[in-house]
Amino acid sequence: MAQHTYDKINSPHHGKVPSRVVSAVGSALNEDWSDDFREPRTAEFKDNFQKWWPYYLMMAPGLIYFAVFHYLPIWEAKLAFEDLRIIGPNVWVGLKHFVQLFASPAFVEVLLNTLIISAMKIAFVFPLPILLALLINEVRSPRFRQSVQSVIYLPHFLSWVVIAGIFIGALSPADGAINDLRDLVGLERRGYMTDSGSIRWVLVWSEAWRSAGWDSLLYFAAIMSIDPQLYEAAEMDGASRWHKMRHITLPGIVPTIATLFILNVGLFLNAGFDQVFNLTNDAIQDKIDIIDTYVFRLGITGGQFSLATAAGLFKGVIGMVMMLSAHFLSKRLTGKGVW
Amino acid sequence: MQKFKLTRRTLLAAISTLSMLAALPSAAFAASGDIRIVMKDLLTSNPEDVAHIERIEEGLRSQGHDIDITIVDLPSEGYAEKLNLMLLSGDIPDLIYFQGGDEQIAQQGVLQDLNPLIEKTTYLKDALWPHNEARLANYPYLLYVYPPRTKAAVMRADLLAATGKPAPTDLESWDALLRAIPGTEIGDTTVKYGIIAPNNTSELDAVFDPAFGVEATWMKNDAGEWINSRVSDAEREKLAWYSKLFADGILDPEFVTSNWEVKEDKFYTGQVGVVMGTAGPVIGIYETKMAQVNPGAELTLLEPAAGLQAVDVSKESRGFAIPVTTEQTEAVMAFLDFVASPDGQFLDRLGFEGTHYTREGDTLTATEKFGAWYPRFIISDPSEYTPPINALSPLAQSALDQGVTHFRPDNAFVWPAELAAAVDGAETYYRTSVFRFVSGELSTETDWDAFVQGWMDAGGKAMTEYAREALK
Repeated sequence: MAQHTYDKINSPHHGKVPSRVVSAVGSALNEDWSDDFREPRTAEFKDNFQKWWPYYLMMAPGLIYFAVFHYLPIWEAKLAFEDLRIIGPNVWVGLKHFVQLFASPAFVEVLLNTLIISAMKIAFVFPLPILLALLINEVRSPRFRQSVQSVIYLPHFLSWVVIAGIFIGALSPADGAINDLRDLVGLERRGYMTDSGSIRWVLVWSEAWRSAGWDSLLYFAAIMSIDPQLYEAAEMDGASRWHKMRHITLPGIVPTIATLFILNVGLFLNAGFDQVFNLTNDAIQDKIDIIDTYVFRLGITGGQFSLATAAGLFKGVIGMVMMLSAHFLSKRLTGKGVW
Repeated sequence: MQKFKLTRRTLLAAISTLSMLAALPSAAFAASGDIRIVMKDLLTSNPEDVAHIERIEEGLRSQGHDIDITIVDLPSEGYAEKLNLMLLSGDIPDLIYFQGGDEQIAQQGVLQDLNPLIEKTTYLKDALWPHNEARLANYPYLLYVYPPRTKAAVMRADLLAATGKPAPTDLESWDALLRAIPGTEIGDTTVKYGIIAPNNTSELDAVFDPAFGVEATWMKNDAGEWINSRVSDAEREKLAWYSKLFADGILDPEFVTSNWEVKEDKFYTGQVGVVMGTAGPVIGIYETKMAQVNPGAELTLLEPAAGLQAVDVSKESRGFAIPVTTEQTEAVMAFLDFVASPDGQFLDRLGFEGTHYTREGDTLTATEKFGAWYPRFIISDPSEYTPPINALSPLAQSALDQGVTHFRPDNAFVWPAELAAAVDGAETYYRTSVFRFVSGELSTETDWDAFVQGWMDAGGKAMTEYAREALK
């Protein structure tokens, strides 16, 4: 019995189990073998490598890719603390660019815009795919369900250039479909794209229109993995469809929701460069100018690479802090986190 | 005797060597070397570009220069950003065409002062336009020998006639004409709006700034202090007029969400009466496209209400630069001097014989493809070179002449890198506020002081303080 448990815990299907867990389980089962688990990590790795080397080999390209393209470039973030020189070495200037950045009234406004837009997207866009997946799951006709899924996935494949064209056209105060509808119900025509009170909502709903269908795919996959026996048992106990959704489906996808929420929080300051870049105009730029567009304008176009790197680094650090906070908070509240 | 003969031979040899040395200055002018050029829309994938470079090499050889030219390919889409990244990676060609982003490079001392180099040339120094000379004096790192990129206002000739108004000559007649356009019919189309400017009011400013007294970027207030024209009383009056045009349905209400393509589409389809375009080739394009969409339709060039906006001579906004890293400065200058010479201008402005023009005796005739050719490097001042075939239509040429006639240098200057964030902040604030004034969301009567304060807070204060020192 004890030997069986040991094998199961260390089986490749269970991945790597934290040593303290292994230790605790070992202690509970058989005090004598807990010492066997605590073999040196290098020896453990060596054994694993010898056993599973083809899998490690298959992993290698991915690891190399991440190392070369995602981790090595981090070193160059030191540019935020330097003045860039094309000829000769860069000059170390410490926090000069950060001071310049935070002293700029525009950056404060840009940061505020980023936080507001991201918060609105999390609040209004994040729940939509969950809702959509739950509703699609309730559709009984497979053909109808597949049709609905295909239709709602489609906007994901459109670029923001195209989507911007669609929204600018649809929201046009002169001949846009939305304003024609407003006309029909007796409401005044409205320039959504130039109205400082409306433009952030345009960002939120255009994001929802584009991504809700595609994002629901993950939740729908999570729903599909819920054990059907749970539903059968609930039906035998007389549960309604609402009860099954409330007490089986929703709790069943909580780990997926938690993981995606944490990842979304980590990307909190990514308020959507492509979207804002394509939907902005001079009338409302002060309301939707976000860190990414600011960095692009000042850094890439304006050639202020160090200043832009400082802004980008600031964004990255804040994102990291927020993701870690969300992870640990989620672990404490739900027991689920990213790892 | 033998010894004497030898001495005489030696003497003759010495004389002939001295003669050769005496001839050296002219021979030394012959440059040689391999030069690498990076330029927007100059690509090895375009056979015309490659052939054009080859015949320039041939032309250089005929002038005694042995220069090989290599095109460095860089995608046209996002050229400025990609060029910056290429230079940062350490790949620095011998001749670089910048389309913005050069200031940061120049501030690092990477670009050569072109003035002394141009001074030594035979043709290039005379090919410069007045605005080129002014810009080179202020910012000697960039060279763009082209006519000034002023804006010109045009409208359909039959629409002007249909309004019953004369061609405008001042602000009053402009106002009357613009108000007469909406509702006027041309053919089956009823024109909806009087005028449009894409994305913002810049194109309107180009034609109407002087009419309201916006004479330059920096103007003096009543106290004799320099202030930015954007917070001047003249600007306030101008915005009040734009606002009236907007409120009365004269200015297209969707101008701020219309890009240049939408602007052109509205113009060709008769939704808008008046548009502004870059003087020269762009006006020629408007003319051609309008005739294609509406056969027989002709355009009329309109005179600005009181001259054109002052031309920024703080620096070229685009152009060629030579890095200090190159060892081929002489070869690069020989190349530029050649394309500025009559032989080079002939090649660069007329295209290829048999494709873009035909020759019968001394007479050259443009083919249908002539319009597809464009000068790659230089358009000399007309006093130095006039091509046998004018690429511009009479209307496009008139627009260009209008720009030259109304040319006035502006007093804007190049900002130091430390003020980049302030300039960006003030610009964003100004552009957003302008739309709000024009659309009526803000009033020039009641909200002006708050706008001025907001502009100052957004970065204008730092700009003004710097300007007052710079313009002393």
